[in-house]
Amino acid sequence: MNIRWYHLALWAAFIIGMIYLPQLVSKGTLRTIIFANYLAIFAISWDVLSGRTGYVSFGHPFLIGLGAYTTAILTKRFGVPVEISIPAAVLVTMVGGSLLFLPALRVRGSYFALVTLAFMELMYQLVQVIRPDLTGGTRGMSGIQTLTRGAVNGYYLSFGLMASLGFAMWLLMKTRLGTALSAIGMNEEAVRGSGLNTTKLKLAAFMLSAFVAGLGGAFYVHYLGSIAPRALFDINFVFTIIVAAILGGASTIIGPIFGAFFLTFLLEYLRPYLPGAERYFIYGGIALLLYMYEPKGLHHVLQMALSAIKGKSRS
Amino acid sequence: MSFLEFDNLSAFYGKAQALRDISFSVEQGEIVAIIGANGAGKSTLLDSIMGLTKTSGDIRLDGKSLVGLGSADIVKSGVGYAPERFNLFPFMSVRDNLMVGAYTARDDIEKNLEAIHRLFPRLEEREGQETSTQSGGERQMVSLGRALMTSPRVLLVDEPTIGLAPKLCDEIADVLARMNRELKMTIVITEQNANFAMKLASRLYVLESGEMRISGTVDELRDDPRLMEAYFGH
Repeated sequence: MNIRWYHLALWAAFIIGMIYLPQLVSKGTLRTIIFANYLAIFAISWDVLSGRTGYVSFGHPFLIGLGAYTTAILTKRFGVPVEISIPAAVLVTMVGGSLLFLPALRVRGSYFALVTLAFMELMYQLVQVIRPDLTGGTRGMSGIQTLTRGAVNGYYLSFGLMASLGFAMWLLMKTRLGTALSAIGMNEEAVRGSGLNTTKLKLAAFMLSAFVAGLGGAFYVHYLGSIAPRALFDINFVFTIIVAAILGGASTIIGPIFGAFFLTFLLEYLRPYLPGAERYFIYGGIALLLYMYEPKGLHHVLQMALSAIKGKSRS
Repeated sequence: MSFLEFDNLSAFYGKAQALRDISFSVEQGEIVAIIGANGAGKSTLLDSIMGLTKTSGDIRLDGKSLVGLGSADIVKSGVGYAPERFNLFPFMSVRDNLMVGAYTARDDIEKNLEAIHRLFPRLEEREGQETSTQSGGERQMVSLGRALMTSPRVLLVDEPTIGLAPKLCDEIADVLARMNRELKMTIVITEQNANFAMKLASRLYVLESGEMRISGTVDELRDDPRLMEAYFGH
């Protein structure tokens, strides 16, 4: 494992800073951070699969939706306690992840991306048509049990979940498994030629991604207390996840967290000036400039800045 | 029984046949070169050993058939592969590229790394460097190093001199000869550069349009007019 002491120090500083944050900011800002935390979880999930292996998923809401709907249905319709419904939701999402994995055995590139998009569309149609008495149909569900009350508790729960998932995935990606998954993204044939079983490795990536998406989706629905299929299975939601991961720095785990916070706050602070969809032009423009001039994302910009500071302090 | 044996090996890309009934053998500790022009089937032959193409016929390593095994099992049975044009992971460090090769090796990783650093001291000096920023010669070293991470008994090297300057070709030839001598490693290389192949190998096989046309020791073939005709076209 290639971990340096300052990596752990940065993680510790980030976590300590975030623990004290509620004392420094307003409740409104905390609510924005809660959304950033959940977006970061979804972006981490996308990054573990697509950022690493290069199998770009446009259907991540399929996985998030499986987690969210499973726990919502179990708790609201069947009175199952969340201690059982959330692990069950994660399991169901991992089964969904293995379904999403099947096309990856045959197709890749843009074809794979389109297949995943079809999974999302299929899920959108299914929740509306199949047993609307359970799923709530087009209207979705409301009155779902929430796990916390108030912004501060919601913040701590979402941050705890995001930080623990982020740290766990970061550690895992520092192992040989993470290196091999990144290698698949760069040159799958060469990975096979090196004697690695790419099918097993890709399955691991899909399972990990589904685990994170399922857990995130389940907690998210218990934060919101409602679920709306039109908002969940929406192409804008997919793009927000992907842009957060790439903007921050794909294949890094830390990058998607940066990207999610940057994107959430950018859109939030632009709201008073540009209340309509014009905000998306600004974020689209920033994303475009970054992809063109710094495709490794904000994480890399920050790394370069830190290196420059280190260089100056030495000289 | 030879160490590595090919029995009527044919290889296919869909309906197209890339190799036709290839039969030859390689003895343990030997360096053998497969030479031929572009499209002769050299890379396909090595890909066939690695289980990366659809084949018929048989390939045996130390008496055990490799046919039907996946690449992972073929590597486990003692085959290392350094593919054409290095096939590296460009945005990974030298060390991470080597670690991909070590994925299936449970033990001896540090020992293997040390052995690779002895063979290629430059890789140790630049272990944190991304391979996309390295020279062709350095990338070839990384490619060979990655193949060595699993301590193979037979090393397959696809066109090791492609795109390299003559001085670097000599360096690569020296390293391959040292690997053969010091690690007692059986080596099969494919080459378009017949001079390089003759300098390094003890036996040559000439592939032409997927068929094995000529074979013999380097001494036998050095002045063979058939080699000149098949390989140089005159």
